[in-house]
Amino acid sequence: MREDLESGKDTSRRTGIRPLKVLTMHLLEVKGLTKRFGGLTAVKDVSFHIDEGETIGIIGPNGAGKTTLFNLLSGFLTPDSGTIILKGENIVGLAPHKIVNKGIARTFQVVRPFHHLPVIANVMVALKSPRGAKKIEWLKTMERKAADILEDVGISEVMLEPAENVGHGILKRLEMAKALATEPDLLMLDEPFGGLNPLETDFLTKSITRMHLDEPSRAILVVEHKLYALMKIVRRVIVLHQGEKIAEGKPEEIANNKLVIEVYMGKGIQHA
Amino acid sequence: MLIEEIIIFGTIKSGVYALLALGFTLIYGISGVVNLAHGSFYMLGAYLFFIIGTLGILGSGTILSSILALIFAVILVGVIGSVTYRLTIHPVVGDEIAVMVVTVCLALIFQQLVILVFGVTFPPVRWPEDSFLMTSIRILGVPVLYSRILAFVASMALFASLLVFITKTKIGKAMRAVSQDREVAMLMGVNTERLYMLTMAISAMLAAVAGILITTSFEMFAGSWMWLHPLALSFSIVILGGMGSIKGSLVGAFIIGYAEQTVAISVPEGGQIISVVPLAVMVLVLLLRPKGLFGKRIEMEE
Amino acid sequence: MVLSYLRRAHSSFAAHVFDIPPRLMVFLFLLILLAVPITGISDYYMGILTSANVLAIFAVSWDLLVGRTGQISLGHSLFLGIGGYSSALIFKYYGLPIWITIPLAMLIGSLFSVLIGFPCLRVKGPYLALVTMAFPLILYRIVKWAPLTPIFGRVGIIVPSFFHFLPIRQQVIAEFYFTLILLFASSVIIYKIANSKTGIVFMSILDDEVASQACGINVTKHKLMAFVISGMFASLAGCLFVHLLRLAESSVFLLTVSFIPVIITFLGGIGTIYGPIVGAYIYSILDKYVLGQMLPNLLEQWQMTLPTEFEYAKLLIFTSIVVILVIKWPRGIARYTTDRLEDLEEARDLDERGPRIWKRYKQKNRN
Repeated sequence: MREDLESGKDTSRRTGIRPLKVLTMHLLEVKGLTKRFGGLTAVKDVSFHIDEGETIGIIGPNGAGKTTLFNLLSGFLTPDSGTIILKGENIVGLAPHKIVNKGIARTFQVVRPFHHLPVIANVMVALKSPRGAKKIEWLKTMERKAADILEDVGISEVMLEPAENVGHGILKRLEMAKALATEPDLLMLDEPFGGLNPLETDFLTKSITRMHLDEPSRAILVVEHKLYALMKIVRRVIVLHQGEKIAEGKPEEIANNKLVIEVYMGKGIQHA
Repeated sequence: MLIEEIIIFGTIKSGVYALLALGFTLIYGISGVVNLAHGSFYMLGAYLFFIIGTLGILGSGTILSSILALIFAVILVGVIGSVTYRLTIHPVVGDEIAVMVVTVCLALIFQQLVILVFGVTFPPVRWPEDSFLMTSIRILGVPVLYSRILAFVASMALFASLLVFITKTKIGKAMRAVSQDREVAMLMGVNTERLYMLTMAISAMLAAVAGILITTSFEMFAGSWMWLHPLALSFSIVILGGMGSIKGSLVGAFIIGYAEQTVAISVPEGGQIISVVPLAVMVLVLLLRPKGLFGKRIEMEE
Repeated sequence: MVLSYLRRAHSSFAAHVFDIPPRLMVFLFLLILLAVPITGISDYYMGILTSANVLAIFAVSWDLLVGRTGQISLGHSLFLGIGGYSSALIFKYYGLPIWITIPLAMLIGSLFSVLIGFPCLRVKGPYLALVTMAFPLILYRIVKWAPLTPIFGRVGIIVPSFFHFLPIRQQVIAEFYFTLILLFASSVIIYKIANSKTGIVFMSILDDEVASQACGINVTKHKLMAFVISGMFASLAGCLFVHLLRLAESSVFLLTVSFIPVIITFLGGIGTIYGPIVGAYIYSILDKYVLGQMLPNLLEQWQMTLPTEFEYAKLLIFTSIVVILVIKWPRGIARYTTDRLEDLEEARDLDERGPRIWKRYKQKNRN
């Protein structure tokens, strides 16, 4: 409990905003999460926590269980054991859409736009969800709000194009806009930099940082391969290897962690 | 007496149903096509068997000629199946709605063609009257036609040999490879188009065999309506067992076969609602287990 | 309304996404239909158009479910039958006037679609199509099952026409206008739903169910909504049909009946809502007039007669047309026409009527 209180203070100091109520718990707390597929254990006894306003990265080589962990958190998979506690409430076993409405939004590694709808209507789908609809302010139409969100992620000029006509970089950002539209407490980005060119990567890094400034209490969880881009935006990194958490700490600590270098970069891969 | 009848006739029908459903599940498992014209191949089998039999090119009146007629009819249906696949289904493969609409259309087209050719007459489809296949033997006190025993044995043998074909031969392995991952299989040099046509031919042939076996041993007449019940049967069985699962289709066939026979014998006027049974069983199972009994659990693919 | 917003933003673009037919065309179409009885065509042809009105309601309800929500139903005759039988049974046992049986039939239809929707919508894609196909087959057998004959009648249940108190000619005209009004009302309702924000959610389910779950959308709820709306209007069509035929009978549950909305929708253009209406008239006119009247008359001039089997060949022709349409021309006839019109419009005044909001954002970016 004391730890919790401390972390609550920590958040307020870092963001420079005093929370209205004293935080007594983590935003998200994951304990002993395990998922097996037949004989394979994709995620094994993973525990970690995320505080309000924190930006946290999850890294690991291919097959480390990153995406599985992601699907467990967002409710697309049900864990075999373990608990996921969001703001004091266990969300294990809830349907994906209910979890979104509790405040966890996610993007997909492979973009999943609604092809037949224009870009702006893609965002409006998310705004039509109970949580998204609730967050639309007084005297602001859904269209207006959608256009604003699109402007935030920088793709407002294509908002009337059908999603099937726009490029991959824009779809990546559209994924993020859709997640943002539900005003999540925790935004989970699954490889947001995948398939982007350096320019787009740079822009996305900036917009994530800016997003953080706009909404300081929102926590962001990023799963990424591109370590360079990731290290710039996160404050804490969790390293997964073969479904297990092998390290956790500040980016610089992780970069110098022997075990991490061994499993992740040791095999002659020098990212970025 | 009642129980014995249910067991014996249920077993016989289930065996043939398994063959029917195997064809349906095969083409779905390999190319993802839900072939709603499956029942039509069953019907075409029976009609072609009758036509070849009456034309008498292969002789007539003997068991040998009938069996030759059966083989030719089945091969013809196979050819029809793969040609219709190439012409109509192949252009829309991948679009679920379109595939189903096209195959239902095909089923109706075959039905209308049969009506146009045969009108309201119902040609007899049966083995030669004087052959031993039309005599019966008592099993557990129930008289059973030899033709029914033949139907059961033949379909089980075919089922087994098809299993061997899929697991052991090169083509069978290619089929399984395609069903696992179409693109990788294409990269490995599998000609998917030809493979799909072959699968369709096999699937249609299985339906035709089932059609001939069932009609010669139970109904004895062909009619333009006869495609609907086997279609309902095959999709109920396949949904029951899980789409694309061969083991499932065998188990599903036995469940449906026994259930149908039970209703036919024990419910008043049961013969009239016999075709409801597979559908009702299917709906009940889906209520309890949406993926069927043995269906692949679909996890999120990424 | 998002519709008006998008229309303002970019008229022809909105038409591409939501398939808005040009207003003038809709107006003309309606005017022609309204004027039909004045031309004094025979009762037979009026009957063709009346049944086209009802078929259009049926097909539009199918299009909302399949073309806009992506939930494939190959057993829509179920609702047609439920609507028809429930209004006929209510009439037979309670003798209620038809003005009450119609809303009651719609209510029963929607209750049934909730009941059936729950098990059906647990499954997806091919499973769903097969399960929906199963229900009418089950009901067909049950209605024909001998022990139940006293309830459902040997040949069906005989009901009166809506306007049985009028003389024949007025009756036909009244039926035509009555069905036309109902068609107009129900297609406007369905059209509004399909192009509302809920309609956008329906389309997101059609595109990617998982992604719309990730957007916080309760997919099952929305699917059920589409199912119920569709079932409700299909039962309205069923109820109307029973009163037009003056008979409720088991053949409505046949697969060929389930297939009529499919033929109509593919003729007109799937996912458009207005396409099926056009398709219904094309279908009815082709079916009853061109193949039923014109062709035999033409052949008669050359001293030829059609074989009696020709009645069966009609379905053959329609199903072949659908196969060809699906493969070669999946957008349908109505949508093809509006597309051509829009191409012209777009070429003419894209810049003049350009989107205000879009322009504003462009300017911002430039600065």
